Amino acid sequence: MRFWKSWIVTQKDLSIIRKNKYVFYSLIALPLLFGIILPLLNIFTLNDEITALPRAQFMVVANQTVNELIALPVLIAVVLPSIIASYSFVGEKIEKSLEPLLATPTTDSELLLGKSLASFLPCIGATYLAGGIFAAVLDGWSYIKLGVVFIPNPYWALYMFVIAPLAGLLGVEANIIVSSKVNDVRSAQQLGALVCLPIIILVTLPSAQYSNLIAILLSTALAAADIALFYLSKKTFGREEILTNWK
Amino acid sequence: MIDAESLTRKFGGLTAVENLTLHVNKGEVFGFLGPNGAGKTTTVRMLCCLIGKTSGQAHIGDYSVDKEEDRLNIRKIVGLLPENVGLYENLSAFRNLDFFGKLYEVPEQQRQENIERLLRILGIWDRRDDLVGTFSKGTKQKIAIARALIHDPQVLFLDEPTANLDPEASKTVRDFILDLKKEKRTIFLNTHNLDEAERLCDRIAILKTKLVAVDSPKNLEQSLYNRKTIVHLESINDAVLTATKRLDHVKNVRVSENKLILDMDTPEKDNPEVIRAIVKAGGNIQYVTELRSTLEDVYLKLIREASAQ
Repeated sequence: MRFWKSWIVTQKDLSIIRKNKYVFYSLIALPLLFGIILPLLNIFTLNDEITALPRAQFMVVANQTVNELIALPVLIAVVLPSIIASYSFVGEKIEKSLEPLLATPTTDSELLLGKSLASFLPCIGATYLAGGIFAAVLDGWSYIKLGVVFIPNPYWALYMFVIAPLAGLLGVEANIIVSSKVNDVRSAQQLGALVCLPIIILVTLPSAQYSNLIAILLSTALAAADIALFYLSKKTFGREEILTNWK
Repeated sequence: MIDAESLTRKFGGLTAVENLTLHVNKGEVFGFLGPNGAGKTTTVRMLCCLIGKTSGQAHIGDYSVDKEEDRLNIRKIVGLLPENVGLYENLSAFRNLDFFGKLYEVPEQQRQENIERLLRILGIWDRRDDLVGTFSKGTKQKIAIARALIHDPQVLFLDEPTANLDPEASKTVRDFILDLKKEKRTIFLNTHNLDEAERLCDRIAILKTKLVAVDSPKNLEQSLYNRKTIVHLESINDAVLTATKRLDHVKNVRVSENKLILDMDTPEKDNPEVIRAIVKAGGNIQYVTELRSTLEDVYLKLIREASAQ
């Protein structure tokens, strides 16, 4: 595996993605939605009874609220691949550019890695951007209200640095498989969003009963799913398979 | 340069290519003709190591399509122009070629030189920074040809290089292929265009799942029926007819209105004697023409026979 070859493919895909207004606006809108708007809505709609609680009790409620919201920025890593990967893979199908690409002295794995990175990097970048804004907004709020900051904490770190990349990778892999079955970007996005639903549920489920143990279990489940889908997507993204079986 | 022996590819129960054996010499332009679904593209894909074979063997240069370690080397020495140009519409012509040049591992300096040389030859250098999406079909085809040549391949596979092009763009592409021929590159040309095959190719193979025929365009044309010399006369009398029938090398004589239709093996050699005999017998010759079967006649006959089997 020559990483530099994959990187050439990644750079090419990123420059095409950058020119796509729809993807560009999604990269801005989703961090705004999941990093600022939704957390702020949750925090500022805490009712007066809760904000009027004694400081110790309010600390507990505030800490719980913040941790319940930690999964929100991670959703970007799950949702964005259905937008970006659909352009990266189905786009090649539409432009019929896969055959000349496959004719180059590049292995299937190098091509797959290059294209996966092109989908993964913007997703994880947007997730960290949203996560950073999210942490700043919530810490700003908690510092003003209580004089403490809740983030970073181990639960947040697990979500941001373990669950988010694993969930993003799962989203990319799922969308590679979806891309092999459809012929237009819209179908890929719709089917991709449908495939992402179970991942979204999986990622947001522990937030009601947040604990580090649950986050670790979730990470393990995601890693296992990543490995399984990796082999499936590798099988899907083979020269023979693409040229003879991709619709 | 290209060798295939008993090459076969099946897709489930469907046989796309059956027992294909062919040899393409270094520096030869080899035409591959056949109707839609004859297995031409499947053959090219097998030879370019894009898809596997069901059985048989194939070599490009010293490399075997069977060996995993050879496949990357084959892709390095082969340039492919697929049926669909498959360019990135949102990238410039230059960026498209640069991307493929990098994947073909062409060093930076040489890559820049190759891009400039190819785009200048094809007359697109001034528009190198324009997005490919803004180009006409013909210009896109030219860029796709430049892409196939970006790494100076020894072997070039061209799948329908002039399909969907207007006559002027077709001529540019054909002239370019003739230039490549002068450079002694081995060119494997998949085409439906018989005129193009006849003009460009040293040899032609006709495929209908199986190999039906392979020979030079001239030999293929002669294989259908003997070449005929047609002598247009003011009028034909018995003396002229008898004089021509007496000639040994004239295999058959037919009369149609004021024309004599003569079957001969080597008209270039025998025509002067025929003309002298006719003049001596009192015939007044208006003009002499040649009737030969075209590549189209041969192609249609062979394909019909192959379909009937």
